[in-house]
Amino acid sequence: MAITTRPATDVELLRRPNIPSANVRLPAVKDYEQVDDEIIGTLHPTAQWFIGLGVAILFLLIGASAWTYQIYSGLGVAGYNPPVMWGVYIITFVFWVGIGHAGTLISAILYLFRAGFRTTIYRCAEAMTVFAVMTAGLFPILHLGRPWKFFWLIPYPNWRYIWPQMKSPLVWDVFAILTYLTVSATFLYIGLVPDIAVLRDRETNPIRKRLFAQLALGWRNTDREWRHFVRAYLFLAAFSTPLVLSVHSVVSFDFAMSDVPGWHTTVFPPYFVAGAIYSGIGMVFTIIIPLRKWFNLKHYVTINDLDAAAKLALFTSLVVGVAYMMEWFVAWYSGSPAEKQFFANRLWGQWWWASALLYTCNMVLPLSLFSQYCRRNTTWLWILSIFINIGMWFERFVIVVPSLSHEYEPWQWAGYRPTWVDYAILCGSFGWFAMWFLLFIKQFPSIAITEIKEIVKPRLKHRHAMGVDSTGLPLPFMPDTPGEFD
Amino acid sequence: MRGVIGLFRELDSTCDAITLLKKSKLGEFTVYTPTPRHEIEHAIDAGPSAVRMFTLVGGLAGVTFGYWIAIWISDYWPIVVGGKAIATWIPYTIFGFEVMVLIGALATVAGLFATARFPRITHTIGYDNRFSHGDYGVWIEPSPDRMQEAEQLLRDAGAVEVRIER
Repeated sequence: MAITTRPATDVELLRRPNIPSANVRLPAVKDYEQVDDEIIGTLHPTAQWFIGLGVAILFLLIGASAWTYQIYSGLGVAGYNPPVMWGVYIITFVFWVGIGHAGTLISAILYLFRAGFRTTIYRCAEAMTVFAVMTAGLFPILHLGRPWKFFWLIPYPNWRYIWPQMKSPLVWDVFAILTYLTVSATFLYIGLVPDIAVLRDRETNPIRKRLFAQLALGWRNTDREWRHFVRAYLFLAAFSTPLVLSVHSVVSFDFAMSDVPGWHTTVFPPYFVAGAIYSGIGMVFTIIIPLRKWFNLKHYVTINDLDAAAKLALFTSLVVGVAYMMEWFVAWYSGSPAEKQFFANRLWGQWWWASALLYTCNMVLPLSLFSQYCRRNTTWLWILSIFINIGMWFERFVIVVPSLSHEYEPWQWAGYRPTWVDYAILCGSFGWFAMWFLLFIKQFPSIAITEIKEIVKPRLKHRHAMGVDSTGLPLPFMPDTPGEFD
Repeated sequence: MRGVIGLFRELDSTCDAITLLKKSKLGEFTVYTPTPRHEIEHAIDAGPSAVRMFTLVGGLAGVTFGYWIAIWISDYWPIVVGGKAIATWIPYTIFGFEVMVLIGALATVAGLFATARFPRITHTIGYDNRFSHGDYGVWIEPSPDRMQEAEQLLRDAGAVEVRIER
């Protein structure tokens, strides 16, 4: 639940103007009724939403058609060219798993760290996590020649009583991803239950009311429910926190456990985790910035919240930048000719443009976030988020393709060219993700109603001896940036 | 089950009612609040949640099962890989950890359901839709001879609406 701390005094605010802190201030949100009205008001479908959903479904159908064609014709239509037997599917798998990480970081880790700015953005980020992991989970299956046998990786013996090889990183991946999906979905749903109860009590359509009643599990807002709920939520956050670190570490083991040049390095787990969080924050910006405009929620997702999230993006981009440099250093310091040659090829070889793109998007452009003006400029943040998404996809491209196409023996060196099937399935993944997300934001609140109510000043009869008044934030309506809530 | 429900508009009035109810020992009471508030929590002063025990037991069961399943599978079909032992604890820590998180999280949810007594199929008496919106409620189950006293207590504390329900 939302964290409220001592509000900053006027003197402190004067000393640190416009600096986001753990104190959440929503000066334009007056009372609980306003929270209910405005957030539930976003659930009514609009023509633009139907158009967006239609485009998403169209993309999904393109991807589904390509997959059907691939199943019929065989995996060869996907542009694999020995020895490059991992391509767009594995790149996109890592990309989508990474996207999910920022959601868990925002909803769980920032919750434990008492970072107040998470309150307004965490619901979207958490939903993004679940749908991103659902999308990622499709790609190893797509990558199988016989996708209908995907369950062989689950510890369940086949008809010859052969169990999975537990020393294989691919089996580790199955455990990590399934755990991540289950825990993230549980975390999202449990956090949603009180909000669904609000919807149930406000709904007038009998069918939807009945549906919400089922999904709310009979939640009644009693003190007993809240007491245990808050504790359970804390423990779920505590469980989700190490998952952020472990899941992408395990994904990085898919590469680092092999002896392929560019892959066999101990820097991969932290490098992957930082990259995942960075890419996820990029996607959060891509989603949140239009959403707050279209839903007219600028007084909930304030510039201060975006500013704080931008600082997080800047920090993770710096970590990722250091990891890139460490890769170079280790290649030089190892004295391994293959490693040195590989990294030289990464910079000046056939994939130089992909490397240049990723370094520009992930190391150079985010440096703009040192400027407070850029951090508080939503147009720039959104444009930058697109660059971050592109840069992080190409980071995985540069990890996967150049390594496999440029191994130890020169006679093994090869090229790689994705086919229309690869591109169609890549488009399909964005359609699949967008479809779920669009459906979600029109059925459930995209901002947590009960958590926002926690940071809104409650109605009080008088100043109470127990000090309830001091927990409110009696600040006048005063936007940090002129026109911020327009 | 017969009781009195009082509907409050303000948080501090609700806290006053809780304090008075605890002093008067009228009977078991339930507080409805649209969002968790420390003020109500302090006024009620209930003990720590038992969810933590479910989490602990689930986590321990998960880590044990995670290691066990990996070791058992390796021993069931022993294949030497890379000259390593059949059951190697270092990579199997991944299974121990992941299953600990999985079972621990699910046990936490089970603990929440058990301790908070939901899911419920129907609403119990006393619930009002306004409690999820912005109002607070206090439900008391006094003995029949103290029903009037409970009603008066809620009004004195600032309830804007008081009614007897069964």
